[in-house]
Order: sequence, then C-alpha cells, then structure tokens
Amino acid sequence: MNYHWDWGVFFKSTGIGHEIYLDWFITGLGWTVAVAMVAWVIALILGSVLGVMRTLPNKTLSGVAGGYVALFRNVPLLVQLFLWYFLVPDFLPESLQVWFKQDLKPATSAYISVVVCLGLFTAARVCEQVRTGIEALPKGQSNAAYAMGFTLPQVYRHVLLPQAFRIIIPPMTSEFLNVFKNSSVASLIGLMELLAQTKQTAEFSANLFEAFTLATVIYFVLNMSLMKLMGWVENRVRVPGLIGSTGK
Amino acid sequence: MTAMIQLSNVSKWYGDFQVLTDCTTQVAKGEVVVVCGPSGSGKSTLIKCVNALEPFQKGTILVDGVSVGDPKTDLPKLRSRVGMVFQHFELFPHLSITDNLTIAQMKVLGRSREEANDKGLKYLDRVGLKAHAAKFPGQLSGGQQQRVAIARALAMDPIAMLFDEPTSALDPEMINEVLDVMTGLAHEGMTMMCVTHEMGFARRVADRVIFMDRGHIVEDCAKEEFFGAPRGERAQQFLSKILQH
Repeated sequence: MNYHWDWGVFFKSTGIGHEIYLDWFITGLGWTVAVAMVAWVIALILGSVLGVMRTLPNKTLSGVAGGYVALFRNVPLLVQLFLWYFLVPDFLPESLQVWFKQDLKPATSAYISVVVCLGLFTAARVCEQVRTGIEALPKGQSNAAYAMGFTLPQVYRHVLLPQAFRIIIPPMTSEFLNVFKNSSVASLIGLMELLAQTKQTAEFSANLFEAFTLATVIYFVLNMSLMKLMGWVENRVRVPGLIGSTGK
Repeated sequence: MTAMIQLSNVSKWYGDFQVLTDCTTQVAKGEVVVVCGPSGSGKSTLIKCVNALEPFQKGTILVDGVSVGDPKTDLPKLRSRVGMVFQHFELFPHLSITDNLTIAQMKVLGRSREEANDKGLKYLDRVGLKAHAAKFPGQLSGGQQQRVAIARALAMDPIAMLFDEPTSALDPEMINEVLDVMTGLAHEGMTMMCVTHEMGFARRVADRVIFMDRGHIVEDCAKEEFFGAPRGERAQQFLSKILQH
C-alpha cells in the first residue's frame, strides 16, 4: 500500500479558530463520556427497578416490566434513536416542542435524545441481568428471610439484591462497556462525539487512516480501563468462601 | 396443656393435585414432635404451612392462638416469633456469621446493634462456634453452618422452633453435632416440630411421632407407642426399611 502515514496531523491547525485536530478528539471523547455516563445511570436505576418488578409475585407489575423489555429489546437501537430525535418531539405539548426544537442548542437537543434513548434501551438489558441474578438464587434464601419475619421489601434489600448484584457483575460489565460503544450512534443525529469528530477530521484533513486509527485506540483504551475498573469492583465485593472467589 | 401449634383439617392443593388432606394435629407448649414419612408424603409442606411459607386452601392453623391463614394476620410478626431451620441451612452467604445472627434482630425486632450482637454471640457460643463470628458462611462446614442457623433462629427468642430435615444435607459425621444442639434445646423445654428421618433422635428426644403418607397423617401417637407397635402397615414398612441400618 502506497500510503504516507502522517501522525503529525493531529497537531496541525484545523483552520477553524486556534484548534488543532487533537482538540476535536478531546471534545469528542468528552461528549462520548457525557452521553455514556448519564445513560448508564438511567439504565442502572430504571433497569434495576424493572428487574425487581419482573420477579415480583404481582402479575401486573411483572407484566409491565416484561412488556417494557419486549418493546425496547426488539427494536434496533438506531431506529429507536431516530424515533426519539425526529418523531417523539412532535408529540410533545406545543410549548415543549418550541423549547426542544428552537430554544435549545442543536447539540443539547441531540444530547438529550441520545441519552434518553440509550438509557431506556440499556435499561431493558440491565433489567434482564437483574432478573436473572435474582432468579439464580435458591428459593430457600427468600424463604429463610421470610421465616425470620422480613417483609418483601426487606427480603429484596437485605438478602436477594446484595447477592444478585454480585453474581451479575461480569455481564453488567459488558452492558456498561456497550453503553460507551453504542454512544457512537449519536454521530448520526449530529452530536459531535468521538466518532463524529473522527469523521470530520478525516474529511477536513484527508488523513482518513490516521483519524480512524486514533479513534480505535481511544475507544479501546477507554473500554479497557473500564473493564479493569469493574474487575477491581468485583474483587472488592467478593465474599469469602463463595463460588468464584479466590480470596481466602 | 395448651396447644402452641394447632392444625385443624388442613388441606392443600397444587392445581388439581392434593398434597395435604385433612391434616389435624397439635404441638403443646414444650412438646417435641417428630414428623416422619417417605419422601413426597407432604411433611415439609405441612411444616412450611405452619409459618405460612406455603399457603393452604382449607382448614385452620393457630400458632399461639393466632390464625395463620387469616388474611388480616400480620405474617412477618407471626413468623418472627417462630424459628425455622432449613435442610440447606440458608445462611446469607454475603453476610458474616455475626451479621447473619443480628440482621433480623435489628431489622425485624428493632433491637440495637449492641443488643443484637450480645444476643447473637451468646447463642453462637452456645452452639460452640464463638471463634467463627467474623467468618463467612462459605468458610464453615455444613454442620457448623447448620448450628449457626439454629443460633440465628434462637436469637429471635422464638416461642417455637420448626426444623425441616435439618440433617439430611449433612455428611454423616456432622449429623450428631447438630442433633446434640437440638437435643439440648428439647431438654430446655423448647416447643419443637421436627421433620426428620433421624429415628434415633426421635426415640431419644421426641414426645410424639407423626407419620405421614401421601398427604395424610396416618399415625399420631406417643413415641413409645409408635416405636413399640405402629398400627398401620405403611408405617411398619417405613420403619423396617429405615431401621435396618
């Protein structure tokens, strides 16, 4: 291949203000992290509530949570994003529509759409992890808790959830990383996160390979660090004497 | 004697399948009753009806005069007064032994941490495991875990104890350490209902023996009578099989 690699491109001026291309990547990484973290908080809270609902004896509550999962898991993420960004605002009350479409900066309305979309999408997946974690526990555990006089909320709070969340740390790590990777769909509604900045750099500088190589490295290092962080968390909450624990 | 636990015509169905049929018996205050019978005879189901871990569709169960099946009954309160020990111990694996002993005392009975600790450790000492207070359940043997489970139940100051096959998941050499604790408890006058296959324990400790078969209580008599000459053919067969070794 007769390509002249030019790694110095990232320090060249973009021609816009005093920015160099590296600044674009840093801004992009900032948006990526901002999208993923807020979406993850939504997913974790909503998904945990839904996951608990799915295991409750109450048929209505578990049915509602089951319906939610079916809806959000069976429609592609990108389709959901377009619905949230292009369609849902049209159904808002008049004043909110004006606010969302005219008063907000384009980046802010795109940000809100993608955070809501990714948060609700991932919540369905977190819900299934939490449900699986709870159902993996022996029935005797809740029986023992009830037998000592615990109420249903106490059984979940003190006995089921502390164990279920420990069990599901590995699959939850995958979901956590997925939020960061999935946040790249935001580039398709004009939010200048990491992937959008990469494409822009490629177009402006014509250094396509360098731009995408750097983006790949940034995504990889970011996710690798998160994986290490979750591994550390898993170690911290490890219970002595339980299956899968190496501690003494 | 007043009945601490009174079962009257209790029947239970899983769908169309009847698992308990017209079960009537009682456990008097301070009495030790052993429930035995072949597997699938409904003994575990019966004992779980007593503290409403299993619902039943017909009949009444009174625990210290409180109706278990009454929808108005405060079940958590009733359950907190009845201790239960399970076949698979069911200690909470994510909590230390001390926390296992204190959590229900604090969350259900509202005791202070200090009071709960004192009480928990007193009973842990009683079952001979005080040195293990800081460990986790997974670090103890089965027999030790079951003794902790008994201490955990006793720390709630129960008016009666239910045992659901407390030794059937244990290695043979660990069965006696658990039975010894149960025997001590019986001698102190604890009201006990024990589902168990340990006929030696029944012979030594029980006041009465109930024999169940296919959801019916077919024998309910003093232990001397039961081991002397059980009336029914089914009970005779069961005893001859189980006492052979």
